[in-house]
Amino acid sequence: MEPLDPVDSPVAQEEPPAFVSPGDPFLAPGHSYASVTRDISGTVLRKTQRGWWIGFAVAISLFLVLNFGITLLFAIGVGEFGINIPVGWAFAITNFVWWIGIGHAGTLISAFLLLMRQKWRTSINRFAEAMTIFAVMCAGMFPFVHMGRPWLFYWLFPYPDTMGVWPQFRSPLVWDVFAVSTYFTISLLFWYVGLLPDFATFRDRAKHKAGKLIYGFFSMGWRGSARHWKRHEVCSLLLAGLATPLVVSVHTVVSFDFTIAIVPGWHSTIFPPYFVAGAIYSGFAMVIMLAIPLRKWYQLEDYITIRHLNNMGKLLLATGMIVAYSYVMEAFMALYSADKFEHSMIVDRFFGGGYGVVGWILLSCNLFIPMTTLWSHRIRTSTVGLFIVATFAQCGMWLERFVIIVQSLHRDFTPSSWGMFYPTPTDWMILFGSLGLFLTLFYLFARLLPSISIFELRHLVHRTAEEAGVIEAVEAE
Amino acid sequence: MAKRPIYGVMAEFNTTKDVLHAARRAREEGYRRMDAYSPFPVEGLSEAIGFPHSRLPVITLIGGLIGCFGGFFLQYYPNVMGFPLDIGGKPFDSWPAFIPITFELTILCAGISTVVGMIWLNKLPTPYHPVFNVPRFQLASQDRFFLCIQSKDPQFEIDAVVRFLKDLNPREVNVVPV
Amino acid sequence: MNSYSPQSLQYEPRGFQSKALAVGVVCLIITLIELFLHPTQFFRSYLFGVVFWLGIGLSCTAILMLHHLVSGRWGFVLRRSLEAAARTLMWMALFFIPVVLGMRYLYIWTHPAAVAADPILQQKQFYLNTPFFIIRQVIYFGLWIVLAYFLTRWSGEQDKTANPDLVKRMRNLSGPGLAIYGFTVSFAGFDWMLSLEPHFFSTIYGMLFVVTEAVGGMSFITLVAYFLSKREPLSEIIRPSQFHDFGNLLLVFTLLWAYISFAQFLIIWSGNLQNEIPWYVYRINHTWATIALVLVIFHFAVPFLLLLQRFVTFRRQYLAWVAGLLFIMSILDLFWLMMPSYEKAGPQFYWSDWLALIGLGGIFLAIFSSQLKRKPLMPLHDPNFVGVLQHE
Repeated sequence: MEPLDPVDSPVAQEEPPAFVSPGDPFLAPGHSYASVTRDISGTVLRKTQRGWWIGFAVAISLFLVLNFGITLLFAIGVGEFGINIPVGWAFAITNFVWWIGIGHAGTLISAFLLLMRQKWRTSINRFAEAMTIFAVMCAGMFPFVHMGRPWLFYWLFPYPDTMGVWPQFRSPLVWDVFAVSTYFTISLLFWYVGLLPDFATFRDRAKHKAGKLIYGFFSMGWRGSARHWKRHEVCSLLLAGLATPLVVSVHTVVSFDFTIAIVPGWHSTIFPPYFVAGAIYSGFAMVIMLAIPLRKWYQLEDYITIRHLNNMGKLLLATGMIVAYSYVMEAFMALYSADKFEHSMIVDRFFGGGYGVVGWILLSCNLFIPMTTLWSHRIRTSTVGLFIVATFAQCGMWLERFVIIVQSLHRDFTPSSWGMFYPTPTDWMILFGSLGLFLTLFYLFARLLPSISIFELRHLVHRTAEEAGVIEAVEAE
Repeated sequence: MAKRPIYGVMAEFNTTKDVLHAARRAREEGYRRMDAYSPFPVEGLSEAIGFPHSRLPVITLIGGLIGCFGGFFLQYYPNVMGFPLDIGGKPFDSWPAFIPITFELTILCAGISTVVGMIWLNKLPTPYHPVFNVPRFQLASQDRFFLCIQSKDPQFEIDAVVRFLKDLNPREVNVVPV
Repeated sequence: MNSYSPQSLQYEPRGFQSKALAVGVVCLIITLIELFLHPTQFFRSYLFGVVFWLGIGLSCTAILMLHHLVSGRWGFVLRRSLEAAARTLMWMALFFIPVVLGMRYLYIWTHPAAVAADPILQQKQFYLNTPFFIIRQVIYFGLWIVLAYFLTRWSGEQDKTANPDLVKRMRNLSGPGLAIYGFTVSFAGFDWMLSLEPHFFSTIYGMLFVVTEAVGGMSFITLVAYFLSKREPLSEIIRPSQFHDFGNLLLVFTLLWAYISFAQFLIIWSGNLQNEIPWYVYRINHTWATIALVLVIFHFAVPFLLLLQRFVTFRRQYLAWVAGLLFIMSILDLFWLMMPSYEKAGPQFYWSDWLALIGLGGIFLAIFSSQLKRKPLMPLHDPNFVGVLQHE
């Protein structure tokens, strides 16, 4: 018997699939392993579209604004920020808390929904994880530029220096260094582990030599062996189990930055769960704001369905309700405490001359608009409606952090040290510039990497076909 | 056919059912050194080729324990033994304040050891592997399933293996050169 | 598939109900002696017992609403037990009346003389005053009973009519229902427990109270599922994979409890402010420290490690042991939250504390069992329940 020589059997261009998926609320019908592979890799392995160049140019311009602002800051000093005593923390820390909160939804989708074995995570987890990583990068930049002497940032790390001095481990600012760097590392690893099989797909599908080489390098020689997959699955589950408590701890530690102090408006025991819920709230708002254009521009409506948007809308509502609960508890406890500083802080927050107006805008963006509209199924399933509501929630969450930080600081215990904070042009440049950094990274991601996990989509095709009994039907033929 | 060295014989399948069936049959037939390849994790496939458990959780546990004790010691040592400083009247051993960093380092070490462990156990990176010598193997990362019986198998006898695989409803069967 | 008849799924108390009722009534009558000897001690013991058992009914209502919202597979087999526990609220509300009658023994802020001497209490009078307290209790119990009533009524209707619209109706009530639950139970926690030490305040306290109850409720319902699953035909319906789901829920609640408790502790410990820190000074010093340590080990560490093990959560006996441990620990947790308000130096043994707890427990279980009898043990006509039986 003459064994076949491998060179004799070429790879056919197109073959009809053995079966197609009958569809699911989370996947349009008619997809096969090959069609999902083709669709998603098609968004990357092709010529760059003009629309992408336009968007990328806008993002880069904003990013340049950030560079300009930071250059000014480094050249002149932190005086470029509008901060002074008593408001020593303002935009930079607000942006830090806001950005890192945005990251939380990505980890929640990739880790917690994996543990819960939720089908709908499949088509949103990849770009949500990318969002996490870029948001954490934006967030990490702010404490760094806020330091005044950023070139000495390594003083925060514990290393045996020549003076024998160690960081102050009782300080939440040092906890933050550990929390944020752990969060970034674990998110990046989790993302890479998920990308590994997709790099292999790209390696095998790329037409250019350079593409084959680069994707091949990152795929590390992945061959999809059953042993590989077994360890890969165990690894993903273990990482998910680690990342779920981690994501809770990160915003908890961020909230400790405030609660460990004794400033009225900061020292509040509900902050840890309240910050975590707020983080997930703003994060889901961001996922919605990214998913809606992404599915439209890349024609991914088959994968990111209306049901996905509906579910995200529901999660937005649930986490928003926890935020609302926290507002009520804070206001009530300030009155109940019979502490005059707590009391005047909460009155000033909404009725003070300084930032009272901001307080009401915050409530409107965060509560009155989303918490009334999101109950409606119509709003949750309309792309335009949901996008608008998510935008309000996003602005509301930024304002919330601003109010917590600045409003609490601007009235000290002694009236002689009261003062206002006004943002400078540099403040604004760095805030909007950070959006530019985020968008630039996201545009590069959408251009170079699969925005939806391909191997998990194949798994979803298989799962839906199996549930509907399609596979058995094919076998029987 | 010349006597050039071969890595094994590989069969290609269209569906998960076929590859699962083939892997189970191959084990029943007495083959031990084999591997199956699929474009997504197929439930039961690793068990079918005789790889039911992974040691990865042990590696994670060890990493986590190192991070946990190391993290606490990192804070306990300078504050209590190395350079005790009275700050705000807090006790030197401020254990409640040491818990956040201990927790973070536990997760960090456990996470890194999990990923490094996965890559290491999978023997990645692998710059060269014989299975890629089959041109159609590139479909293993797209929509096809493969089963390869390796020449290392004590029962390996090329004609018998090819005949055996051809009976399992493959799309095609290829010899994999080294 | 759906071969179970409503008759085969009928719960038979087999004497359990009357025994529970007898134990409950006897214990409560003995406790009543204390009312004449030491009325203050009687009301303290009574409050402890009634808050615990109300908490079981309340948290089961919340878990029921959570199940309607996410319609998880774990909930269908628990639903009837959860509904029975929710319906106990209608009767347990009557057992709350003695607390209102004994308010002046329990709460220092009800004494005009004490308020006159304490400027902080004067400022808190807008909230901590007897008429408003009573009005609030009426509102809480009214809302809880309405929620429990409609959730159980529609579910019962579903048994008869198999109307699929009822699923939607229960879900639509559960969303706002959980929001109402969160707020009312938090404020009930402030009223019943936080105001025992009226100088202390903590914004997370309401959430802590909700989660403390949830641990008790979930472990209670897991134990109920364990005992029900000992007999046919429930032994076939409640499978190990469902116990695994219960185990995961217990794990989530235990972790939440640990998280919230630690967050409150770390913030107050670091702040070290005079309004807040005394609450912990009593609770983590002297003999109370022992109880705190027991809670850390047996309410968190041990159950956490056990619930991570699949060999525990997939075996109903083992899981029942863990649930039993958590149930006892949630009693101890309530004891540790409540009793240091009176006994600053350390825990004291009062026989009435435990007798009142057992007495009210007997009555609670008797009501629970009488409610459980009223419907088949599985929601046979829920369109999603059919899927639960089919899978696996």
